[in-house]
Amino acid sequence: MSLLIIKRSRSRSFLLWQTHRTKTRTILSSYNSPSDTDCSDSVSSTSGLSSVFTRSFKTTSFGSQSGKISYLNQKFGNLAYSKSSFVSTARPLSSEAVTVAATCDALTVERIIANQWPILDENESDWKSHAAAIAQSIQVIKRRLQWKKLMVKLKVLSAELNKPDLWDDPNHAGKISREHGSLTGKMKGVMTFERELLEHIDMLKLAKEENDSELESETLKALIDMRRVSKEKELEALLSAENDPCSCYIEVQAGAGGTESNDWAEMVMEMYKTWAQRRKFSVTVVDEMPGEIAGIKRATIKVNGEYAYGYAKAEVGVHRLVRISPFDSGKRRHTSFAAVAVIPILGDGSTRVQINDSDLRIERFRSGGAGGQHANTTDSAVRIIHIPTGITATCQNERSQHMNKASAMAVLQSRLDQLEMARQTAMNAQHTQSLTEISWGNQIRTYVLHPYRMVKDLRTNYEVSDPDSVLEGDLDGFILSFLSSSLDKSDEEH
Amino acid sequence: MIRIFPSSRFTSLLSAAKPLRSFACSSSPTREPPQCASFAEKKSSPASNSLSFTPKTPLFLRPPLHATPLSEVWKWHDWAKDLASSVEDSSTNSEDSLDSVVLLRELKWLIEDSIVDDDPVIHRREIGDDCEKSVKLRASLEELYDLWRQRIEKRRPFQYVVGCEHWRDLVVCVEEGVLIPRPETELIVEMVEELVTRDEWYKKGIWADLGTGSGAIAIGVAKVLGSRGKVIATDLSPVAIAVAGNNVQRYGLQGMVEVREGSWFEPLKDVEGKLVGLVSNPPYIPSGDIPGLQAEVGRHEPKLALDGGIDGTDSLLHLCHGASRMLKRGGFFVFETNGEKQSKMIVDYMTNDLKDTFSDLRIVSDFAGIDRFVSGFRL
Ligand SMILES: C[S@@+](CC[C@H](N)C(=O)[O-])C[C@H]1O[C@@H](n2cnc3c(N)ncnc32)[C@H](O)[C@@H]1O
Repeated sequence: MSLLIIKRSRSRSFLLWQTHRTKTRTILSSYNSPSDTDCSDSVSSTSGLSSVFTRSFKTTSFGSQSGKISYLNQKFGNLAYSKSSFVSTARPLSSEAVTVAATCDALTVERIIANQWPILDENESDWKSHAAAIAQSIQVIKRRLQWKKLMVKLKVLSAELNKPDLWDDPNHAGKISREHGSLTGKMKGVMTFERELLEHIDMLKLAKEENDSELESETLKALIDMRRVSKEKELEALLSAENDPCSCYIEVQAGAGGTESNDWAEMVMEMYKTWAQRRKFSVTVVDEMPGEIAGIKRATIKVNGEYAYGYAKAEVGVHRLVRISPFDSGKRRHTSFAAVAVIPILGDGSTRVQINDSDLRIERFRSGGAGGQHANTTDSAVRIIHIPTGITATCQNERSQHMNKASAMAVLQSRLDQLEMARQTAMNAQHTQSLTEISWGNQIRTYVLHPYRMVKDLRTNYEVSDPDSVLEGDLDGFILSFLSSSLDKSDEEH
Repeated sequence: MIRIFPSSRFTSLLSAAKPLRSFACSSSPTREPPQCASFAEKKSSPASNSLSFTPKTPLFLRPPLHATPLSEVWKWHDWAKDLASSVEDSSTNSEDSLDSVVLLRELKWLIEDSIVDDDPVIHRREIGDDCEKSVKLRASLEELYDLWRQRIEKRRPFQYVVGCEHWRDLVVCVEEGVLIPRPETELIVEMVEELVTRDEWYKKGIWADLGTGSGAIAIGVAKVLGSRGKVIATDLSPVAIAVAGNNVQRYGLQGMVEVREGSWFEPLKDVEGKLVGLVSNPPYIPSGDIPGLQAEVGRHEPKLALDGGIDGTDSLLHLCHGASRMLKRGGFFVFETNGEKQSKMIVDYMTNDLKDTFSDLRIVSDFAGIDRFVSGFRL
């Protein structure tokens, strides 16, 4: 693989090397001497190389981003991304001698965070905002990894590895070295990312100093790309609970208030459908009970895709809408409620509740009349009732009774699994609640369309002034902030 | 030969108007016209069976030849939606009216069957309102207008409109002249499945599905029997024979399902006393109820498939007799009935009039709680 390397120095000279990977390795190691942290001369090339060799972040979840990770990467050739996150093959960092990465003017990730630079929209070309966003993500990732503990653990493992009699017990030795390898990989991944951020900052300052607008805009773009990747990384770090990778069902139920609430429930359901589509999850409607005049009384959709549950569980609770009702000729302000429940669809690997056929009662959903040859209807909805628990599931959107039954059975299975999970963990955490358990007092978010416009999450205080974008499925900000706030909570508990 | 369709509007859509190519029913060795013996003579059987019949191609299997601007498709969609939503206000007869919720779902499926790969474009109209785009349809828009009007104004069953019915995990082609298989009937296959998983013996022998119609039960049973299964499917109606043969072929089951034309047991003389299983959903509606049937059924589905004589049990009683002759010892049967009254009567008849012939007689109800089936074993 050939790499194109741009070397840049303060004297504005360009050095272009067309070289091969093996060669680069040598160069890399030569720059690995302590002197390469010296800013004066070779900042950019060193940094470029290190990022080239250490980038192995997994970039699968947001398909669109994987192609344009950073400008450095484009410049220096594409290295295949390793599937496992945070595994890198870069410079042999010894775990004992971890130095904190810093810019020439001694800016570190921690200091960036301490500076509390405001985080603006991605489109604002303010490098500080990008840097702050990236630093924040790095912090979340570190927290998730329990960074300090990780360091201690690594030190212990390294000491163990250095023992001369280690391989007397090859089993134990293998275990230790595997664990050491995996933790080192994680650590290096984060540190590389940190270093890359600081290198970009250095580069940017340099560009400004030298009035090199081309380099400045390229670096800024690299920062934006990095910001996107880090946001993804952050999200991945947030989604590490056992069932997070599962697909799920999302259920929405209208609150009291008839048409008004039914309409709101439908808006909420549409919000999730578009959100899921944007995330490239596949969506199928399992069950839908329309309102008399408009909207839905309740509906269940199946969201298929990796981490669907991990994301969607952040939405569980009651969503409140304030607006001038389109159904009220008096144009008065109305408040409507819709409850959201999210159920994971456990994989085959997990232990699922055993359902006995004899515990089930299966009913035709809208029966009546003589049936059989007398009736021709395309409505073959069935309801399955699990007699011991009273839990039911309905499906009416398939084209045959058999398929409706199968689909309702899958919903029932997941509901029973969820019930069992809640029972076992005994911690009746919010996101394991079913629709029937959600109390209408458990409001998580308010959407105001009138007299002002705003969507605010009551758990995190995250807020957005453009309700339309949220209702069109732009939910990730809310989801992310909720997930990281629950991470904080679980950290405190530790 | 097909006296099914009352409305002249649809003649252009009927396969009767197509050139009659002979239908090669590869697995049907008995092609001689049925000697409509004693019992079947009561039925109004088609005058001649010598003409073969070509089944129609359902919408979802037609080639997508009709590139249509998306804006036009939406126009049609909106029109169809409005028509579907307006039915409830206009219908006067509340006993037999259309339900707009059901119609809207049917509209979704009609689109699913008409658009290649169910192009999601139609569901996402707001996003990138790209009217320039065109989609490939399997029917012209003109025909789609016509089809939806037929559905609502003529009460043509949705399954005839699209030419298929989803039944169990199958998609069964149907058309005028063949009964649209009912959801209740799926349970017959379920019962067979339960039996054969319990006892392998039933997988190895010959089964028969009498009055097979579209072939739905026969295909369903063949699939649960597995590779060694054998099912003979019979019907008196040549349209049913052709449609069933086509469905069998579509599922690649020619080697397992043999379609035979003729009245009830008449085409089964060679397997008398050899069957391990016998299933049937014969016509069971009392003649007096026929005029009052739901419009989709009464106006469009074949009387031959519905009319069971004065009390509806003519065919059922005939089948009971036949079952005693045709089944091996231990052989299983299940029949669909009109409900509690007929089921009880059949059980009574079998226990008293056909004494010591059957065991384990059971009445099984459908998901609506109606006593729909009678099953048992040959002693
Ligand atoms: C209620 S339909 C059942 C069709 C199919 N088995 C199903 O369940 O969808 C009854 C079928 O019996 C057929 N039939 C009526 N009289 C018959 C006869 N004498 N011999 C054989 N089949 C007959 C009809 O043509 C029709 O296909």
